Amino acid sequence: MEAVPLNLPQEKVYSARRRTIRENLVAYSFILPNLIGFAIFTLIPMGFSLVLAFLHWDGANVISWAGLDNFKRLWTDDTFRIALTNTFYYVAGTVPLTMAASLGLALLLNQPLKGRNFFRTTFFFPYVASLVAVAVVWNMLFHPAVGPVNQLLMSLGVENPPRWSASVDWAMPTVIMASIWKGMGYYMIIYLAALQGIPVSLYEAAEIDGASAWQRFRYVTLPMLTPATFFVSIMLTIASFKVFDLILVMTGGGPGRATNVLVIHTYNTAFREFRFGYSSAIAMVLFVIVLVITIVQFRMERRWVTYM
Amino acid sequence: MKKYTLITLLIVLMLALVACGGGETAEPAESSSTESDSAAQGAEEQETEEQEIGDEMITLKMTAWDIATTPYWQAVVDAYEAQNPNVHVELVEISSQEYQDKVNIMLSGGDDTDIITVKDIPGYSAMLTRGQIVPLNSYIEADSLDLSVYSGAAEELTFEGSIYALPFRSDIWVLYYNKDLFDAAGVAYPTNDITWDQLDALAREMTSGSGNEKVYGTHFHTWRSTVELGTVQDGANTVIATDYSFMKPMYDMVTAMQDDGIIMDFGSLKAGQIHYSSVFKNSQIATLPMGSWFIGSLIAAKDDGEFDFDWGVVKYPHPEGVEAGTTAGTLTSLAINENSQNKEAAWDFIKFYSGVEGAKALAATGNLPAIRTPEVLEVFANLEGMPEGIDEALQTTAVRLELPMHPQVGAVEQILNEEHELIMTNSVSVDEGIASMSSRVSEALNQ
Repeated sequence: MEAVPLNLPQEKVYSARRRTIRENLVAYSFILPNLIGFAIFTLIPMGFSLVLAFLHWDGANVISWAGLDNFKRLWTDDTFRIALTNTFYYVAGTVPLTMAASLGLALLLNQPLKGRNFFRTTFFFPYVASLVAVAVVWNMLFHPAVGPVNQLLMSLGVENPPRWSASVDWAMPTVIMASIWKGMGYYMIIYLAALQGIPVSLYEAAEIDGASAWQRFRYVTLPMLTPATFFVSIMLTIASFKVFDLILVMTGGGPGRATNVLVIHTYNTAFREFRFGYSSAIAMVLFVIVLVITIVQFRMERRWVTYM
Repeated sequence: MKKYTLITLLIVLMLALVACGGGETAEPAESSSTESDSAAQGAEEQETEEQEIGDEMITLKMTAWDIATTPYWQAVVDAYEAQNPNVHVELVEISSQEYQDKVNIMLSGGDDTDIITVKDIPGYSAMLTRGQIVPLNSYIEADSLDLSVYSGAAEELTFEGSIYALPFRSDIWVLYYNKDLFDAAGVAYPTNDITWDQLDALAREMTSGSGNEKVYGTHFHTWRSTVELGTVQDGANTVIATDYSFMKPMYDMVTAMQDDGIIMDFGSLKAGQIHYSSVFKNSQIATLPMGSWFIGSLIAAKDDGEFDFDWGVVKYPHPEGVEAGTTAGTLTSLAINENSQNKEAAWDFIKFYSGVEGAKALAATGNLPAIRTPEVLEVFANLEGMPEGIDEALQTTAVRLELPMHPQVGAVEQILNEEHELIMTNSVSVDEGIASMSSRVSEALNQ
């Protein structure tokens, strides 16, 4: 290619195109290893799952066509209805509270505190800890009779403290608290990074204009944090819709069906009842819900997110 | 960011993927270990069993749970390997709690583990209706095996004329009691003819103390079966029903005991994941209705010095009007994987494991074999540390299966478990819970 003479326009066009192709190939070859894994373990099975939602299959015997049967069944399945409600309950509880908690922590730990690195590590730690261990420890803390939380409440004079994960009404709040505690450290780090990216000059300017601490927070910090908030809200919403492991270990979806969420229901119908078709239909509903909510979030982005 | 979103969305569906991956590789894995492959080819070429167990080394794989804490797996394998030096049996550990779920996933994925241990009836019925385990009738006929030695257990495993597994272990429910607690309270020990009402009264008598010193009269572990088995002992109903009103008396009794503090609170047991063995060993409960599988581990625990009180066993409590010795039981059996490359060798091993010799090896570890000939039971009763009167307590008049064979048994069990939790946590009344069981199970059976 080096030998191409400059005074031949046709050759030049040709070589430019070849160079583009070459560059593209190099780029693709970098993407390829990841793409192969993604395709084999995610994309192809996902396509299969989509097809499966329209079939009857028990995992071993002959597959038969179901048409829309699996989706019609959703209307009459009251466990699905309960799981759907519970999923929204969980998301509505987890997302705003985790965001508030992680923002609060980030603001605190952005101050020149003594030992602030220690606290940052402490709050980040639950995110790294094994989820099963976290679930078991939370169950112990919130044990209805001998757990430290209820012991404390009783010594403070509360006569009938909540029975937490052993009660239909309190099981979901207990799970939500555990997941906030586990997740907030990670989102705190994102907020911390964003806070440190805010130019000091903005605060100085605001101070010169006579802005109070609250006004500086309200009109400088918050708007400057919106890109981080946007990112956190999307990641958190998706993660919350997918909740499975924490609930499986803490309550197994119980008591009764009080913490049965969509992914647990998907798992039960697939691997306990062997209705892979119906199970895929439930998974598809979850997919569509998350997709729609994410699209809405992206649409709303330009209304409230400020980029510098 | 969009890419992130997409990737995360895709992960949501990972569960469904596992199943799909299985579908695509349902053929027996061809690239598995060369050792078992060459043995398999040998097995296919040679017809009879004698020839098949030739000079070539055969490796059989077998699924099992809690291998480290359950002595019999390896004990019986050792006994077999001593007789068949050219066979090596490799135990594949699968966690006890997720055993059936995991085996289902393995089999759907075309796994070629030769021998599948069948832990319970729902698992058995799931595997056989999906054609993942092979019928054993032709092998049984070829070796003219007598199935009557299993005293009825083989019939319970027969589905539409075919049997897909041979039982090796058969457990029944009995009542354990802490002799020292009874002696201290000056109360007479329970008898082999105790009814549920008498257990209720006895438990109220034996409950004493408070706080950490409290002794509870009896104990219902968190399993649904601990309450529901008593309702099917009369043989008039099974747990697969469309009207569960027959369970009301038992639930009324157990919830009343819970409200009165005679038994430990269900929610606490569940949240603390408290095992029945720890509360029994800590002398926190005076009596414990539980399966005979607990005998072996109690002997071992006392041997290790975990506790030092004397304990006894009597027959499982029975409802009024039902003969003593009527109990519920579970079968643990062995099946051959459809994808096994060594079916003949696997059959030879299964025949040994569930036969008299396997039974003796099993009994020597303190577990109840499915074959209960006098010589086998003698090995069991003469074990060091076995409480007196065990032979009488283990004699049965009728054994009801914990769960009957039914294609929908998995779905039904899920519903019963959920409603059991709701009743026992006082989230619904007994009547509401039972009504909900009836309507939900009826609906599930119609699907």
